[in-house]
Amino acid sequence: MTTPALKVTDLSVWFETESGRIPVVDRISFTINAGDATGLVGESGCGKTMTAMAILGLLPASGVSVESAGIEVNGKDIFNLNARQTRAVLGRDIAMIFQQPATALDPVFTMGQQISAVYRRHAGGSKQHIREAMLDALESVGFSQAEDIADAYPHQLSGGMRQLAMIALATVCKPAVIIADEPTTALDNSTRTLILQQLERLRTLHKTAILFISHDLNVVRQICRDVIVMYCGRLVEKTDCPSLFIQARHPYSAGLLSCIPQISATRPTPISSIPGQVPVLTDLPPGCHFAPRCTRVEARCRKSVPELDDKNGSGAACFRPL
Amino acid sequence: MNAGYITRRMLYGIPLVLGVTFISFLLMVYFGPDKTYELVGKNPTAEQIAEVRHALGYDRPFLLRYGDYVRELITLDLGLSDSTGEPVSSILKRTLPISIALVVPGFVIGNLLGLALGLLAAWYRGKWLDKLVMSMSVVGMSISFLVIIIGLQILLCTPYGLNIFPVRGWQVDDIGSYFYFVAVPTLALVLVTLGYNTRFYRAIMADEIERDHIRTLKAYGARPAEILFKHVLKNSLIPVLTRIMFSIPFVLISGSLLLESYFGIPGVGLATFNAITSGDQPVLKAVVGLTGVLFVLALTINDMLYSVVDPRVAKS
Amino acid sequence: MTRDIWQRLKSDRYGMSGLIVVTIFAILALCVWSGLLGQDWAKVSGSPFESASAAHWFGTNLLGEDILQRTLFGTATAFEVGLMVTICSTLLGTVLGGLSGWYSHGWLDEVILWLKGVLDSIPFYLFAAAVAFALQGSPWAMHLAMIVTFWTTTARIIRGEVMRIKQREFIEAARAIGLPGLITVFRHVLPNTFHILLVQGTIVFVAAINTEVILSFLGLGIQDGVSWGLMLAESSQEVLGGHFGNFIAAASSLFLLLMGFNLLADALQDALNTRGEFT
Repeated sequence: MTTPALKVTDLSVWFETESGRIPVVDRISFTINAGDATGLVGESGCGKTMTAMAILGLLPASGVSVESAGIEVNGKDIFNLNARQTRAVLGRDIAMIFQQPATALDPVFTMGQQISAVYRRHAGGSKQHIREAMLDALESVGFSQAEDIADAYPHQLSGGMRQLAMIALATVCKPAVIIADEPTTALDNSTRTLILQQLERLRTLHKTAILFISHDLNVVRQICRDVIVMYCGRLVEKTDCPSLFIQARHPYSAGLLSCIPQISATRPTPISSIPGQVPVLTDLPPGCHFAPRCTRVEARCRKSVPELDDKNGSGAACFRPL
Repeated sequence: MNAGYITRRMLYGIPLVLGVTFISFLLMVYFGPDKTYELVGKNPTAEQIAEVRHALGYDRPFLLRYGDYVRELITLDLGLSDSTGEPVSSILKRTLPISIALVVPGFVIGNLLGLALGLLAAWYRGKWLDKLVMSMSVVGMSISFLVIIIGLQILLCTPYGLNIFPVRGWQVDDIGSYFYFVAVPTLALVLVTLGYNTRFYRAIMADEIERDHIRTLKAYGARPAEILFKHVLKNSLIPVLTRIMFSIPFVLISGSLLLESYFGIPGVGLATFNAITSGDQPVLKAVVGLTGVLFVLALTINDMLYSVVDPRVAKS
Repeated sequence: MTRDIWQRLKSDRYGMSGLIVVTIFAILALCVWSGLLGQDWAKVSGSPFESASAAHWFGTNLLGEDILQRTLFGTATAFEVGLMVTICSTLLGTVLGGLSGWYSHGWLDEVILWLKGVLDSIPFYLFAAAVAFALQGSPWAMHLAMIVTFWTTTARIIRGEVMRIKQREFIEAARAIGLPGLITVFRHVLPNTFHILLVQGTIVFVAAINTEVILSFLGLGIQDGVSWGLMLAESSQEVLGGHFGNFIAAASSLFLLLMGFNLLADALQDALNTRGEFT
């Protein structure tokens, strides 16, 4: 058995408020192997981005506490590091691509300067060498005029180009793991395809492990092998994509799937929505978080928390899976 | 940035300059003291009065008199001081360098320190360091400039305190004597402006630190020093520069006015102060008019600086 | 909503202490105005430069006048200057800012903006001197100079608010019959801007007092009566001879009042969630 590229064990994030500790992420565990892409799916506010931030150690120190039994990249622990050690890892072993490249990139520095800075920080070398690495990174995401892009400021690039430049930033040090947080949500269809192609390239050619965060199951199924579903901070289902689309086992995942309009269907399929609303984090019900909205709910659902049993590699956190 | 852009910005300044000089003219010349009676002898006849008034230009139409004033300003034909008879332009030439030498150190230190403290407070926002800096700022803002000057004088220049610096004066021949005479005024200037500067800069930096691209920097392992001094500073440059540019005229004038009249330093401020107390019109109207023009100039240069600093502005 | 704001304000200890300090000073000012205190500020009640004693808490000044009496009168002067300048410049700023914002980008707006630019370009103390010059030393020259220059920041803020609200009302008005009148806009704007005006008012008050101090030192300030500024101006010579009474009394009163106001202003800004602008 090979070492997984990214292994997260029992990651939890708590917000410290005057009314007590609120669990924002509750014991998330998953594994991604080199060359695989896993989709992390859920509605906004379910804790997806928090999970990513927690993995990278980017959450503020006050008011927030993070606990985990272990976060490892290629077998190396990255959770129990001090600030300096964490900084050495970020960008080199694991890198993140953000949702809004327009605001995520520094407006007063050129793309070349920003990418070179990352390379210089982690790899170093002569000015010549750094510049070559930077141009290389830009070329590998598909820019034929890499020098022009390098001299451009973020606002001078189109949305799609910015996101590609962001990918170049993330890959210049050839990290083992990339976390992509809603990378295509702000883009139109044609650029979305471009970005997904790039990510696919990274996965197959460079064997980069990708954690693809999205609320859009359709996009996820295009490049991800596995998918994990989150609801209110908890992992409710873990399986591979094809299986999920054939038959989701957790009622919430099933609900998510039925929300997607089927354009290719021969008959118009009714778009259903999941009844009820996502509970406020300060007001979580005991037991299964989804119980108030679940059509298959029983008495024990409201009393105890169903655990995710993934001994066969997949599973659902439900007492009555579909 | 091309010639067209520069010309356009200059043109915008013209109505302002006209306005400033007009108000200056209105207050100082038109509503100012009537000099006729100083120049005629006793029991003047109506003719003599008319003669003098004609010589002084009082009988010319309003707009022409205004035009005269503007012309005087532009050509720096500023007349003679009422009290000393010295040509106003030579007064300015003599006193301006001294004022600049007086005010610059305090201005620079006050802003640099304010930037540094603001940066510090913004980075450690909410923690004790931030609270400490902010409390000191509020205290600094609550002490009047005058109190600071008098207080420092007591502490540093009199036998009741340390008595290491002079109470007043300005005999500067070399670096040593420069430091000797500029130390207390500089300290006063720094203390007065530090509170305001720190609060202002902290607000800007705190805003900047919240931005997404700072989060990206952290996500790629940038060190705090690099984030603060390279990225936060550069992105805040526009509001910082604006503030510095806008405060230059204020600090130069108000600072030099008080400091020089208090410490007896022969700069523009002291000359202005003397002109105020003795009612020396030529000096006053020259100073008011010229500083107004200088200010508009500062505004224009400031706008042009924007396009150099921020690549997003250059596009438009 | 006001109750909510009051709650937030009350919980801010510094802000509350600031409010208390300001109130105490205000009460003192009222006492002076109504003739209860500080009436003997010009009376020679002792020999020159007496040091602090039971009869004269801060001692006497050069002429033998009681410093405490003068300090109390100075409180009234400070409030008189502060209130007058704040109220007048706020009124002026609101009206002009309102007009400017309502007719934004029109000729009236351009004129008012130009006027603002011009007034902001003249260094204040020179302007004050010029006004004093023009008015041949009238005691109101100082107030006038301050009002005429301080209204600009208030106007800028109000203009922004009016333009913002105009956006909203406009959309509704487009559906309704005709445009809302200028009066209606004022009736909509003012309640929403009251908190901003309050915050800005405290800042202007502080600026007015600070300015009066320096103007009095330059001889352009209070002509009749006494103020802390005048006391400080007197003290500038006295301290060289070792007489600190004037200085201590004026400097500490000034500091306490300003500190109180600044703390209050900060607390107000936090509670009302707006920031002011320095004039």
